Amino acid sequence: MSAVGESQASAWLDHWVQEFEAAARQIHSRADWENLRVHWVGRKQGLLRELLDEIKKKDPAQRRSYGEDVNRLKEHVEHRLAELDAEIATCEREAARRAAAVDVTLPGRRPNLGSIHPVSLVIREMEQIFAEMGYSVAEGPEVEDDYHNFEALNFPPDHPARDTQDTFFVEGGLLLRTHTSPVQIRTMLARKPPIRVICPGRVYRNDNDLRHSPMFHQVEGLAVAEGITVGHLKGTLLAFMRRLFAPDVEIRLRPSFFPFTEPSAEMDVTCQACKGKGCAVCSGTGWMEILGCGMVDPHVLAGCGIDPDIYSGFAFGMGVDRVAMNRYGIPNIRLLFDNDERLLRQVRG
Amino acid sequence: MKFSLAWLRDYIDVPQIGREKSGVATDAEVAQVKELFQRLTFAGLNVEDWELSGEDFSDVLLDVEVTTNRPDCMNHFGLAREISVVYDRPLRQPPAAPAEDEERTADAARIVIEDYEGCPRFAARVVRGVQVGPSPDWLRRRLESIGQRSINNVVDVTNFVLWELGQPLHAYDLAKVAGGMLVARRARTGERLVTLDGQERALGPEILVIADAERPVGLAGVMGGLESEVTEATRDVLIEGAHFDRRAVRITGKRFGLHTDAKHRFERGADPGACAEAVSRAALLITEVAGGTVLAGAIDVRDETRDWTRRGCLDLAKLDSFAGASMDPADAERWLTGLGFGVDRASGNGVWNVTVPSWRYYDFQPRPGPPHEVYPQDLYEEVIRIHGFDRIPAALPAIPGADAPRPENQSRRERLRRQLAASGYAETVHFAFLDPARDASFPSLQPEAKPIRLTNPLSEQYSVLRRSLAPNLVETARFNQRRGLAAVRIFEIATVFFETAEGALPDQPEHVGLVCGGTLGSPWEREVELDLFDLKGAVDGLADAFGVRLEARPADLPGLLAGNAAELLREGKVVGWFGRIEEEEGYPFFAAELETEALAGGELSLEVNLPSRFPGISADFTLTHALDTPWAEIDRAIAEQAPPELVSWRLKVRYRGSGVPEGAVNTTISFEYNARERSLTQEEVNALQLGLNEKLTARFGWKG
Repeated sequence: MSAVGESQASAWLDHWVQEFEAAARQIHSRADWENLRVHWVGRKQGLLRELLDEIKKKDPAQRRSYGEDVNRLKEHVEHRLAELDAEIATCEREAARRAAAVDVTLPGRRPNLGSIHPVSLVIREMEQIFAEMGYSVAEGPEVEDDYHNFEALNFPPDHPARDTQDTFFVEGGLLLRTHTSPVQIRTMLARKPPIRVICPGRVYRNDNDLRHSPMFHQVEGLAVAEGITVGHLKGTLLAFMRRLFAPDVEIRLRPSFFPFTEPSAEMDVTCQACKGKGCAVCSGTGWMEILGCGMVDPHVLAGCGIDPDIYSGFAFGMGVDRVAMNRYGIPNIRLLFDNDERLLRQVRG
Repeated sequence: MKFSLAWLRDYIDVPQIGREKSGVATDAEVAQVKELFQRLTFAGLNVEDWELSGEDFSDVLLDVEVTTNRPDCMNHFGLAREISVVYDRPLRQPPAAPAEDEERTADAARIVIEDYEGCPRFAARVVRGVQVGPSPDWLRRRLESIGQRSINNVVDVTNFVLWELGQPLHAYDLAKVAGGMLVARRARTGERLVTLDGQERALGPEILVIADAERPVGLAGVMGGLESEVTEATRDVLIEGAHFDRRAVRITGKRFGLHTDAKHRFERGADPGACAEAVSRAALLITEVAGGTVLAGAIDVRDETRDWTRRGCLDLAKLDSFAGASMDPADAERWLTGLGFGVDRASGNGVWNVTVPSWRYYDFQPRPGPPHEVYPQDLYEEVIRIHGFDRIPAALPAIPGADAPRPENQSRRERLRRQLAASGYAETVHFAFLDPARDASFPSLQPEAKPIRLTNPLSEQYSVLRRSLAPNLVETARFNQRRGLAAVRIFEIATVFFETAEGALPDQPEHVGLVCGGTLGSPWEREVELDLFDLKGAVDGLADAFGVRLEARPADLPGLLAGNAAELLREGKVVGWFGRIEEEEGYPFFAAELETEALAGGELSLEVNLPSRFPGISADFTLTHALDTPWAEIDRAIAEQAPPELVSWRLKVRYRGSGVPEGAVNTTISFEYNARERSLTQEEVNALQLGLNEKLTARFGWKG
């Protein structure tokens, strides 16, 4: 209303402004607005043109003030029409938006992705860690013979060390491998040092209860070269554990016995449940027993045609399933092989 | 294995508990005991558990994991020896020199070894005039402290010496030993023996026995006989301390399903040097707890040709380079000596000649060829375990480069796994063994190969090795269906097993198996009812990804619904199959199986086909043809007739119903035309399509 805000606004001007505003209130659409515009400022029959033309009939003394009034009215009308134009455009956009609107909070249609088994994911991760250290992956048969699974690994025939393996025997004098160590033997028989391999795979033991599955997975590692030391074994395992778990984990080796390594050790790593503080998972020790390891026994090297007076090596072996259970919060090994899709499909690599 | 801390204190000064006030262990005492256990654990004798024990809780019961190579530590003196080295404290040898009577042992009893391989050494003592009765408190308490039952004073002494020195002993009532004579020999066919547990055992030549002049009186190294056992009536006792071959003892134990403390030690390797000392120790203790007199001299029959001493060389410089750490020679010498090794520094150039104590004989396997020395690594181990792994610095080996390129089958398996996971399938893992009936009820890629049986399965349900992945996958699909899943899509990549020649390793190819079924998604998600072609699409997707051509050939296969099954062929060879599972409970399942090797060696060109810059024109054609005309034939005919401008074609709709004659089907195909260097006109395309339509109609069109 700036155009008529002045004190000297005449009654005439007031009248016409009121007239315009009354008409403006009736506008509901673009067409209404267009009619209003044509009615007031249409080039040929517009009301303002008519009012201006009436100046000729006015008393010359009044002409000047009348002309000013008409101009003010014109300014007012044009200004208001522009305002109304913007309002209508906004309304139109709003109406169009409302007509096209969807509920964007509705669920998207996700692609139908499957999943990779937790054990496969952990094995893949271990393979990657060792690939970075220059290791390749070696594989071998699951049905094995006594030579590769036991004899070449320095298990004497009829020795109680074999009892600890709970072997599944297969007709024809064969067996289901009890560890992936036979792959180490096959590798050493087939190749010359330097050798750096890891051997992932399924293994079998005749042990079936709440804590044991008759089929489980191992990853074993083997490095044979001139000058391999016990310190190298420690260093490699420490690097492995820090990549697998966390950069600040520690390891400790407890001397133990395996027929195929000498010296042998069980390796503990900082308990991942309590970060070494001691908890129910680690029986308060702060450590988790995670793998067996040692320096390759000279009898094993010699049996594979590798001179133990020149070469030395280390080997280690660990269960993959417990790492997977630990990582994905699966409390029971049986759940790992139940193959419940509701569980499997939650697993993210 | 259980040990008593109080008992260990007979031979070595170890921390004591409840010393000041009976029944109260102070924190300081507990800390000392814990430190001892920690140090034992880190020297290779893992103390798994411990608890306060004894009548007034003044003892500690240890549970030590003694590995199979250390039978020398399966007794208190042996464990004390380890402690003496770890703590550098003196060891007290238990007395074993009894006062002797004038009568000679050799006049009262005779020992004969017939089988020197089974029994290379046999020592014996005789104690006359014993009074068999309850054991004195100290003896009873010692045995009970580690969970052993007291029987009578004489038998308790033999048991005590086993837990003290590790040598298994047996006491006979001399009066019941025919001819006063013990023979180590093979049993004869038809001989029988009632053992101490009251069981009658039929013997044969594979069983090593101890016999008197007439008959077997004991299973050598495993269990004595009932008839000659020491009873309250016994006056004269004959004590046997023999060394038995590990294998002979193991065979006897296996044959009769017996496991005894004696067998446990003999099969791991007892101390061949301890026989005489142990019988003397036992004779001395018997006189102390049961009276009587010990006859003069121990009988000690042995194979004089057997040398129980192992020898080896320890080069200190090589020890350091093996360990990757510097070892103090003085420490190494002290440790080895303390453990009973003989160390001869004579050569003076840092190379020691070392002899191995008889109680470690079996743990030190010599080199296969002469001079049959032990490997130095055997000796390094002893030094390193006492030194402690924790004091060896960690380092990484400096081997340049990578080991070997990744084999193609490994990359292929990984791609396969990712592709199936990306196609919506969840990876599963199953046991390799299953029920033979289930194994037989699915297709096998080598139907002539019989399933391989386990000789000691968990149960009949898990008794054969799988020849197909399908039985387990279908069972798992059913399991998930029963749990209410609206759709199932699973896969597995694993080995299957086919018998080859007897005794040879079986053929163990890797397969991939898939199962799907049910309704995927909700109406909002544009639900899909999975059928055979969803499954086949996953298989086709694999073929495309690996650049191989797999053809489907209709086949009747076990376990699959007739007319809904096919073999998959690559270059004419059957490499897999797919179909609809016959057994149905809820929604149907569809399964496929494929040798992963069938995805090898495909033609995978990395180069792309550049699409034309000009717009293409498409055309549809509906062919009405007989139901039994395979799509593959129509597809092949189009390929043969295709003008160069035909870029691609695909199945658009299959329709049967109103307007289509009975026995026929409408197949609508979409054709896409384009040219490399120009725009095709509609008229050109119409003409090309018309030509094609006529040829297809002429060949396949419905003739009613």
